[in-house]
Amino acid sequence: MTAAVLVPQDHYRQDFERFTAGLKESAGLALRRTALERFLALGVPSSRWESWRFTDVSTLAKTRFSRAGDAPVDPARLPPPLGDTGQRLVFVNGRYSPGLSRVESLPKGVIVSSLEEALRTHPAVVEAYLGRLPGLEDHPFTALNTAFWEDGAFVYLPRGAMLEVPLQLVFFASGEQTVNYPRNLIVAEEASQATIVEDYRGMGAYLSCPVTEIDAADGAVLEHHRIQEEDPRAWHLSGLRLRQGRDSQATLYLLSSSGLLVRTDVVARLDGEGADCTLNGLTLVADGQLGDQHIRVEHTKPHGTSRQLFKGVLAGKSRTVFDGMIQVHQNASKTDASQSNRNLLLSRRALANSNPRLEILTDDVKCSHGSTIGFLDPDALFYLRTRGIGATQARALLVYAFANDIIEHIRLRPLRERLEGLLAERLYTEERQRS
Amino acid sequence: MLEIHNLHVSVEGQEILKGIDLVIQPGEVHAMMGPNGSGKSTLANVISGREGYEVTAGTIRYRGQDLLAMDPEDRAREGIFLAFQYPVEIPGVNNLYFLKAAVNAVRKHRGEPEMDAMDFWELIQERMALVKMDEAFLKRPVNEGFSGGEKKRNEIFQMAVLEPRFAVLDETDSGLDIDALKIVADGVNTLRSPERGFLVITHYQRLLNYIVPDYVHVLMNGRIVRSGGKELALELESQGYTWYEKEPGQAPRVSV
Repeated sequence: MTAAVLVPQDHYRQDFERFTAGLKESAGLALRRTALERFLALGVPSSRWESWRFTDVSTLAKTRFSRAGDAPVDPARLPPPLGDTGQRLVFVNGRYSPGLSRVESLPKGVIVSSLEEALRTHPAVVEAYLGRLPGLEDHPFTALNTAFWEDGAFVYLPRGAMLEVPLQLVFFASGEQTVNYPRNLIVAEEASQATIVEDYRGMGAYLSCPVTEIDAADGAVLEHHRIQEEDPRAWHLSGLRLRQGRDSQATLYLLSSSGLLVRTDVVARLDGEGADCTLNGLTLVADGQLGDQHIRVEHTKPHGTSRQLFKGVLAGKSRTVFDGMIQVHQNASKTDASQSNRNLLLSRRALANSNPRLEILTDDVKCSHGSTIGFLDPDALFYLRTRGIGATQARALLVYAFANDIIEHIRLRPLRERLEGLLAERLYTEERQRS
Repeated sequence: MLEIHNLHVSVEGQEILKGIDLVIQPGEVHAMMGPNGSGKSTLANVISGREGYEVTAGTIRYRGQDLLAMDPEDRAREGIFLAFQYPVEIPGVNNLYFLKAAVNAVRKHRGEPEMDAMDFWELIQERMALVKMDEAFLKRPVNEGFSGGEKKRNEIFQMAVLEPRFAVLDETDSGLDIDALKIVADGVNTLRSPERGFLVITHYQRLLNYIVPDYVHVLMNGRIVRSGGKELALELESQGYTWYEKEPGQAPRVSV
């Protein structure tokens, strides 16, 4: 399977030595070293590597990205806060920026801090979870992140804790041929609850390589959002691992609206009876862009439920890739899993690759999957026009309805409204370019 | 208000309409009857501007304008309405939002400001009562999950809200039970006025018991083979269309 492009090993090794020599904390060094070797062994995927068949990243092997330095940031370029209150941690090029962040008092026992700080203040918890959740073992960029991460968010919710105000994690990247590696760890103990937003933006031709790990223990309830509005010249290759305990509930929104090449690999493991996972994704790609989502949901225990709905809207000469796997392990009877991928092509030059997959190793399950790729319905367009709605507005109305099907279910109102605005603006821009 | 002259229309190279002449004045209700495949729906689609229909000869003038040169949305803004034989489902677009967009598009065309929310709501309430529609319909996506009868009622509801000058009803009666048929007919009858024209396309005579037409035309193989008053519909009901098929030469072509 490993059809990889050789990476300049010396470059990475030397960089790693320089990087680790500058670290304040030696804890976790062994993990970093293992990860570096893992990355070097895996290499950068070529198009002969099955899961990277449609997403060519081989040029990354040739590009010498440098770790991004500190850079001043105009706060106006950051995603807006979710409200007047609530914790907001801002990371610039993968490093915590206290000056741009907003820290407030939290419920007893809840920790929200930078991961680098948590490694010093709460080493036992961090080391128990960091890099230990299953999945993405053969994802080279997750390994690269584990080797090189500088900072990210650490969230710890003790048993029964409720974070009533949503938490916003902002990641801003900048620079030309720079790379940043945000690393986030979210540990939700039994019956805890939180709503979290990861917000990615930037300016430049950078590479963002974030990894987020979420452990939702028994009965935990999490709503997690990842919003990617990267620079149109930027690359984004990210990993997300989620493990869920018994009767836990996780709702995950993955939205990508911009970026030259954006790929997200998600592994959700439903590791306790009755775990419930909802995954919703929306990818908007403009001319020349590629959006790729690789989703893997693993049911390992009985009575789990998972729902996936991923949509793509493709304009100009753009591409999307969806690869969704539902895996039901041998003892995961009574699993109820569904997966749907729907793509709307706004141009004849757009191309959507959709690959829904099922791997079921037990009987007595309910699994479904489906995928559609199509253009705007000419009958619907005509119908709207016969009611006086102009062709341009009719198109926008239909595209908006298609995409808003994902956004309208976001319960976090300020975020939902922001994304509705973003969608409307995008449609307006695209219609203007068409005409 | 609508003048069709020597209209020939082809679909994918096959001639469907072979010379239609029809004049409809404001205030008149014309019924177009005929068997399946006679070209009734083609006529409706050409009037509303659907793509895929090639007009090979003839003209349609609407209030002095060349109708065939207009985009579908401009026809609608000028007051033409088509009640679809098969109303289209539009997932994700709710009825209320859709109607508001439609009403305001027409108003903008007339140089009028957008309707304010209160006035619009009042209009909607009043017109909903006309077709006995439940308020819950407004929040549902256009036609999605509607039964056949609900879809047809929704067409009449839209017509009542948009207040067209000229409406084409394309087999609005097909698939309706008698109660739904009465509701639809009541809606149309309420909208009948000296300024408004209707073209009611139907396969069966029964709708015409409730919407009593001023004129009835029989369309066969792309031609109007007979025209007359409302009694013609009754004659058709008793004799069927086969009579015309046998003796096409006897049926006089009449323009009214």
